[in-house]
Amino acid sequence: METDNTPLHRAPLIAAGILIGAGMGGFVDGILLHQILQWHNMLSGKLPPNNLVDAKVNMYWDGVFHAAVWVMTALGLRMLWSAGSRRDVPWSGRSFSGALILGWGLFNVIEGLIDHQLLGLHHVYEYTDNHLPADLGFLALGVLQLGLGWALIRAGRADTTPAARMR
Amino acid sequence: MPSISSPLNLLAGLLALLLAAPPAQACKVCRPRVDAAIHASDYTTNALLLLLPVALLIGGALLLFFSPTLVLWKPTTRPSTAPLSSPPAS
Repeated sequence: METDNTPLHRAPLIAAGILIGAGMGGFVDGILLHQILQWHNMLSGKLPPNNLVDAKVNMYWDGVFHAAVWVMTALGLRMLWSAGSRRDVPWSGRSFSGALILGWGLFNVIEGLIDHQLLGLHHVYEYTDNHLPADLGFLALGVLQLGLGWALIRAGRADTTPAARMR
Repeated sequence: MPSISSPLNLLAGLLALLLAAPPAQACKVCRPRVDAAIHASDYTTNALLLLLPVALLIGGALLLFFSPTLVLWKPTTRPSTAPLSSPPAS
């Protein structure tokens, strides 16, 4: 028997938001920076796309990246579906939108640190001698998103009604 | 609540069929060189490095989703609607 003092768990909704946000952030990176602006490709730091063969190899690895990001987004949607049907998960628009922004920021920071700084698989803007300004700008955007997302998630703590109770 | 398992299984089946399809031969002359460059000896290394950030994010989110009792995420309680004290017995 559920009572008014049933513990509420916000983590499932936040986890779903983080995955969907990270996935959407990955699609922004892949679609905008890889394909439309063509600032870099997935392996352009190791294999610059200076000829058709190398460009197509990079295209393949871009596709693998997009597939992984698609799986991440789909998992987030599955988690959101599950969180929406639980009576112990508060349905908070502020928490969810905060988690979306936090997830995007996490993607930018993790991808920026691992792929750009540590491994050098590619840089944000490949076609320059000095990669650092664009790489740092990408990381700074990520940190800004982390702060904004965290603030929104904290603001959502006041929301305590589960979706299952709204119907 | 309606199940979403069947449509997801159907979608997964369709995607598996697409993945099994042969790649397009848009560049007949260079295709063998492209295939050789993709499936080179560093294929696994490239795949693991490239998928590392996504794997970290998925792992972290799964941990968060299935661990609502972590100390960091202490559960909150709903504001009680019950009266603080019982009315006096008449």
